[in-house]
Amino acid sequence: MTNPAPQPIKIVPSKKSAALEGQEGSLYESRKKIYVRAISGVFTNWRWILVWVTQILYYGLPWMSWNGRQAVLFHLVERKFYIFGWVFWPQDVFFLAILLIISAYALFFFTAIAGRLWCGYACPQTVYTEIFMWIEEKIEGDRNKRMKLDKAPMSGRKFGIKAVKHAVWGAVALWTGFTFVAYFTPLKELLASFVPFSFGGWEIFWILFYGAFTYFFAGIMREQVCKYMCPYARFQGVMFDPDTLVITYDEERGEPRGARKKGVEPASVGKGDCVDCGICVQVCPTGIDIRDGLQYECIGCAACIDACDEVMDKMNYPRGLIRYSTENAIKKHWGRKEILGHVMRPRTLIYGGILAAVCLAFVWGLATREPLRLDIIRDRTTLSREVAGGFIENVYQLQIMNMTEAPRRFSVTVDGLEGIRFADFDGQVDVPPASMQALTLQVQVPVDTGEPGSSNVIHFELKANDDASVAVREASTFLLPR
Amino acid sequence: MKQILVLWPSFLVAGIAEMVFFTVMDPQQLYLFGQPVEFSPIATYSIGFFGFWLVCAASSLLTMFFLRPGEEINQAGKHAR
Repeated sequence: MTNPAPQPIKIVPSKKSAALEGQEGSLYESRKKIYVRAISGVFTNWRWILVWVTQILYYGLPWMSWNGRQAVLFHLVERKFYIFGWVFWPQDVFFLAILLIISAYALFFFTAIAGRLWCGYACPQTVYTEIFMWIEEKIEGDRNKRMKLDKAPMSGRKFGIKAVKHAVWGAVALWTGFTFVAYFTPLKELLASFVPFSFGGWEIFWILFYGAFTYFFAGIMREQVCKYMCPYARFQGVMFDPDTLVITYDEERGEPRGARKKGVEPASVGKGDCVDCGICVQVCPTGIDIRDGLQYECIGCAACIDACDEVMDKMNYPRGLIRYSTENAIKKHWGRKEILGHVMRPRTLIYGGILAAVCLAFVWGLATREPLRLDIIRDRTTLSREVAGGFIENVYQLQIMNMTEAPRRFSVTVDGLEGIRFADFDGQVDVPPASMQALTLQVQVPVDTGEPGSSNVIHFELKANDDASVAVREASTFLLPR
Repeated sequence: MKQILVLWPSFLVAGIAEMVFFTVMDPQQLYLFGQPVEFSPIATYSIGFFGFWLVCAASSLLTMFFLRPGEEINQAGKHAR
C-alpha cells in the first residue's frame, strides 16, 4: 500500500486574526477612554430630575413600612411579593407577564415617538453613570484636569486622588448592592446583621456581586455597556421611522463649518452656523460626533443639544443647530406644528392602542382579583372505602390561600350528591393572614347514591364569614366502588 | 473579548431562565439525587442562577467555537507542524 501524497493545504493569511491580536487586553473593541465634559442645560436638568426621582425611589422604598411590614418586598424565602397593599403569590404570575408586556410596549411606544428617551434619561446605566461621573468631576476636576492627571506619571498626589475616587465609588456601589438585596430579604433582618456582622453567606455574596456590577458598569465600562452589551440598543432602530424625534444636527444650517470671530455673520465669511468648536463631541458620553448623522451609539441623552445651545448663545446665533427633530422635518423644513402633527401615525397608534389595552387589562385584573384561592386534590392513595353506618368515604386535600393580610374564618360546604356530608368537621376553617392552610377532609355519601365509578362531580364552596362576596367554588370528583 | 461574548449573553439568558423556572417551581419541592433539597431557599435560588449561567455559557462557548473560520483552523494546523 502506498500512502497518498499529503494534499497541500493552501494557507490563506488571515487578516482577521491579525486584527484581533491588536485588541487583546480589552473587554470589547479596543477603546479610547472618553473624558466627558460636564454640561448644564434644559435636557441635562431633566436627566438630573430623573436621577433624583429614580434613586429616591430605589434607595428609599425598602425603608418604607406598610401594614407593619416592609412596603415593597420580593420575599424569596416566603415566595410572596409584597407591594404596598398587595400580596402576590406564584399563582399570580399572570400579572408579572402583563407587567413585562406593558414595559415592552411602553418602550416601543416612546421609542417610536421620541427615540431613546429611556436610554437618555431613565436607564439605570445612564443614571448611575451620571452619578459616578459627577463624583469623578468633584474629586478629579473637570475634563482637562482629568486628562492631565491621567497623563501624569504616578505620584503620591495622583495615587491619593484616584484612591479617594475609587473609595467613594465603592461606597456608593456597596450601598446600591445592599439596597438591592434589601428588596429580596427583609431590610430589618439585614440591618440586624450589621452590628455583629452576621450576614448570611449568600446575602453578602449578592451585595458584593451587585455592588461590583454597579462599580464596573457605571465607573469603568460606561458607554461600552450601551454599545456592546445592551440588546435594546441593537434593535431600537426597527422602531424608528422618518417621523421619530431624534437628536439631529441641522447640516444645511451648520455647513460649511469653521472657526470665526465672535459676532461674525456666518454668510459674510461663507460659512454655516457650526463654529466647529467640538464641544458637542466632548460632552458626548459615547464619544460620537452627532454631526456625522444618527448613529446607533447615540443614547439620546441630548447633552450635545445643551452644549451647542450654549455656544450658539455666546455667538448670538439662534439656538437649535443641534435639536430634537425628525428625518422628515429636516428634509421638508417642517416647523414644530408639522412635527407634532405627525406624532399620531399608524405606528404610534398601534403601539399606543396595544399599550392602553394591556394597561386596562392589568388594572381590571388587579381590581377583580379574588383574595381567596382553593386547590383540591383527591387523596389517591385511599381511593374510596366503606365506613360504618352505610357510607362511602373519599378523602380530599384542600389548600386554602388567604391572600389578604387579615386573618379570616371561612365556611366550607360540599354539594353535588344526595346526602353528602363531612365526617368530623364543623365546616369552619381559620386561615392566618397571607398564608396557605392545608385541610384534610373526609367526605361521605350514603351507599346507594351516585353512579359507580368516577363520574360523580361534587363542588366545594368556600365563603368568608366576614364578607360573603369573598367566595370560591371548585369542582372535584367523588369515586364510588363499582 | 471572546470571554465577554460568552459570559454576557449567557448572563442575560440565565437571568430570564431563573425567573421563569423559579416562578413555576418552588425550591422546597426540588429533589437532588432523590433527596429533597436541604439548602436554604436563597442558596437554592443562587445555585440555580449560576447553574443556568453555566449551561448558557456552555452554549455560547460552542457557538464561538463553531464560528471560527476554516482558514483559522488551517492556520492553527500549520503552526502545530
